[in-house]
Amino acid sequence: MEISFVRIDDRLIHGQVATVWVKETKCNKIIAVSDEVAADTLRKTLLLQVSPPGINAYVVTIDKAIEAYNNPKYADFKTLFLFTNPSDVLRVVEGGVPFKSVNVGGMCYKEGKKQITGAVSVDKQDLEAFRKLHEKGIELEIRKVASDPKVNLISKIQGL
Amino acid sequence: MIGVIVGTHGRFSEELLRSTSMVYGQLENVVGVTFEPGESVNGLVDKFKIALGTIEWSDGVLFLVDLFGGSPYNAASRIAAGYENMDIVSGVNLPMVVDVLVSRSTEQLEDLVKLAIRAGQDSMKSFRTVREIQTEEEL
Repeated sequence: MEISFVRIDDRLIHGQVATVWVKETKCNKIIAVSDEVAADTLRKTLLLQVSPPGINAYVVTIDKAIEAYNNPKYADFKTLFLFTNPSDVLRVVEGGVPFKSVNVGGMCYKEGKKQITGAVSVDKQDLEAFRKLHEKGIELEIRKVASDPKVNLISKIQGL
Repeated sequence: MIGVIVGTHGRFSEELLRSTSMVYGQLENVVGVTFEPGESVNGLVDKFKIALGTIEWSDGVLFLVDLFGGSPYNAASRIAAGYENMDIVSGVNLPMVVDVLVSRSTEQLEDLVKLAIRAGQDSMKSFRTVREIQTEEEL
């Protein structure tokens, strides 16, 4: 399996991802990784419904994502991986999937989170996961859409 | 680069481009032209000409307008009739604009026109119909 792109976006598949990112990243599959969403049949069905034509989409648990990455059956996959949060990314990386760069697109604001850009808010657990990903040498770049300039996430969370 | 001009009744074109940038990001070489109540088609032709002056269109121009046969369409057609490398697609909607912007760097005008029409048509779907034909594949 080829890793086309890795994105954190808590809306997972939505208009922007389906219309713009899919074309920019030239992927042929979308794998949305979330234990929570994979267990939620309605949310899962609705997400799969909006996947763009010609691109197979899957919503899977973290364990399943790692297993699928290592399965030679999926050698022709050029996968756009979607996550809702950095802790899940970290678990997949620790499971042996070699992400080099992670795009941080949208993590919406909730009570108790700190807003670091217009589209990205983080809590303590997110910060810890981002730091661990950074220590592993993984690029962390904030961009809502493909044409935005990359913003280095680590520079935005220094001192937090 | 193919220049894109969106022309509509009222301020729809401006707002449509604002919506486009939410999905696509910063817009380049695309401009909106509005047709306000009381304006003449001649005035609209002039507005389109002014718009042409603000964009780069060495590879052609694609006009995206709202109503087939409406004033923006008619005014654009008076300009496009004089050039080989211009075309007009009516029925403009958000998926059409986004798809055109995503694809225009790699497509010729003729293909971009086909793609715009397909994007517009394909975007119309019913939730219930999609759900009925949906089949889930497992990894």
